Amino acid sequence: MAGQDREPGIERFPSGIPGLDEILRGGLLVGAAYIVNGVPGAGKTILANQICFNHVAGGGRAVYLTLLAELHTRMLQHLRPMSFFDEQAIPDRLTYLGAFKVLEEEGLGGLLDLLQREMRGAGATLMILDGLVAAEEAAPSPREFKKFVHELQIHAAANGCTVLLLTTGGIGQISPEHTMVDGIIELDDELFGVRTARSLQVRKFRGSGFLRGRHAFRITSDGLVVHPRIEAIFAMPSRRDRPPVARVSTGTEGLDRMLGGGLIAGTTTIVMGPTGIGKTTLGFHFLSGATAEEPGLFFGFYETPERLRLSAREKGIDLEGLEARGAVEIVWQPQGEHALDELGHRLLDAVLRRGAHRLFLDGVGGLLESAIHPDRISRYISVLANEIRALGVTSILTMETREIVAPTVQVPINGISSLSEGLIVLRYTELDAALLRTASVLKIRDSDFDPRLHVYEITGKGLHILGPYRERYEEILSGSAHRRPEPPAAANPGEE
Amino acid sequence: MRTVLLVEDEFGIADVLARVLEDEGYRVVTAGNGRRGLERLAESKPDLVVLDFMMPVTDGAAMGRAMRADPAYAGIPIIMMSAVSEATVRARFDGYTAFIRKPFLVPRFLDLIARTLGQ
Repeated sequence: MAGQDREPGIERFPSGIPGLDEILRGGLLVGAAYIVNGVPGAGKTILANQICFNHVAGGGRAVYLTLLAELHTRMLQHLRPMSFFDEQAIPDRLTYLGAFKVLEEEGLGGLLDLLQREMRGAGATLMILDGLVAAEEAAPSPREFKKFVHELQIHAAANGCTVLLLTTGGIGQISPEHTMVDGIIELDDELFGVRTARSLQVRKFRGSGFLRGRHAFRITSDGLVVHPRIEAIFAMPSRRDRPPVARVSTGTEGLDRMLGGGLIAGTTTIVMGPTGIGKTTLGFHFLSGATAEEPGLFFGFYETPERLRLSAREKGIDLEGLEARGAVEIVWQPQGEHALDELGHRLLDAVLRRGAHRLFLDGVGGLLESAIHPDRISRYISVLANEIRALGVTSILTMETREIVAPTVQVPINGISSLSEGLIVLRYTELDAALLRTASVLKIRDSDFDPRLHVYEITGKGLHILGPYRERYEEILSGSAHRRPEPPAAANPGEE
Repeated sequence: MRTVLLVEDEFGIADVLARVLEDEGYRVVTAGNGRRGLERLAESKPDLVVLDFMMPVTDGAAMGRAMRADPAYAGIPIIMMSAVSEATVRARFDGYTAFIRKPFLVPRFLDLIARTLGQ
């Protein structure tokens, strides 16, 4: 494990906390001292304990010292249900010690002696000091406290022992000790309306790059799970984009013709339209072309898998059969308080896990609803689409428009043209006291396409393009098409 | 008056247990770690030692072993207390008289003290 034959301050060891090591570009530095700061209840104790248990599981030796912090007994009670907790590690590999008495009786000098003894004598390679504020209060002067932190850093570096100093303070406040330590990790738990959101921010990390900014995290029965901000971690896609060569069928012959032969492989297409227009049905068709060798993924927010299977069956598409053959997997995200980045990582994990070639995301609104900072969403989807593209996946993203029949189309996010190579708009058009469904391709990057409006229907056999509107109709995009008086019209939109 | 040597590193627990024992009429001597505990054995001449398992400098197992190796203290009963399991404690030191797992309620603790002292 890291820590053997170590060069203090250079070698790393992983925290073992999902997401955190990606943010830290590999983990904590051996022999460095870090402040972990946060509001009460932010998760500092769990984070520190999780790192301890992961560290000792990897062969290290950890000591957890408390200064007027949570009682060990109570702390262990709270930790026991967590999956990382290992009773066997205590006390030989992980020791919990109370240090307040030493601090009270012997001052900062005595505390430093104790810390040093644990590093050298007990061979600790990781040390937690929980309740740094008690040491600060015990210091006869701010200068003495700074000296204590400084000497502790020297001992840590000299002994190759990484030290985490846990303290409670205002987020973003700068204290003298903050300027001295090698890094600062802040945990926050903020209220947005009626909703709270946990976030982690690395404010400083000497000797290494790191992912700046705030990253969402959750506390689960596995401990902390951090979700690095999608825009930060995939600022550059994880692999090189391959030039598209092939076409991928949408599963609807008429739409493939409109697109000039189908979707271009490895590209993203947005399908916009109001509720009930057939976006999900189009997804069923698209995924019906998936195979066990080239599987498809349905990542949805609204309908449960059971309802999706029923809906597909009513349109003549055997979604269950596709699932049974390993051609399609449905990943359903029930509406709740998701973290936007958690969803993004879950989506990408599912794509990688399944080796998906086709992705149908139904829809972007589910992501929007999870966004605490809606101003992120355009860039977030753009970066997510870039990564999906880099993975060679052909994807369709649905986007629900608010109006049912209207002369304008309200796009729910800005900068839509930069998000995808393709844009298909599905609309209702009123004609002769009936609503017709129409489809139009607005954009296919680097390819010819049929820009004419087409009428389609959804039946027990799915979605079928009937053909283009004929010249005799006008003001179709107003949502209220009508026939031109001259020359006399023949009939309804005909077959192509 | 019976004397109890209470060796415990956690500030809050040591304070509360000492007060509880004093209220019950015991004389209580405290130490914050095993090394201090060994130093106070001679001066306090305890009838019973209550010993925490995980402590800095010298832990409970090391102090227990040192007591059992010294004829002057080998006969003093030891109540070992810990948040970890008794099996874990016993693997390091099995010379204690009784064991109590943290967290515990005060009546149970006092009952164990009384029984161990044969009261």
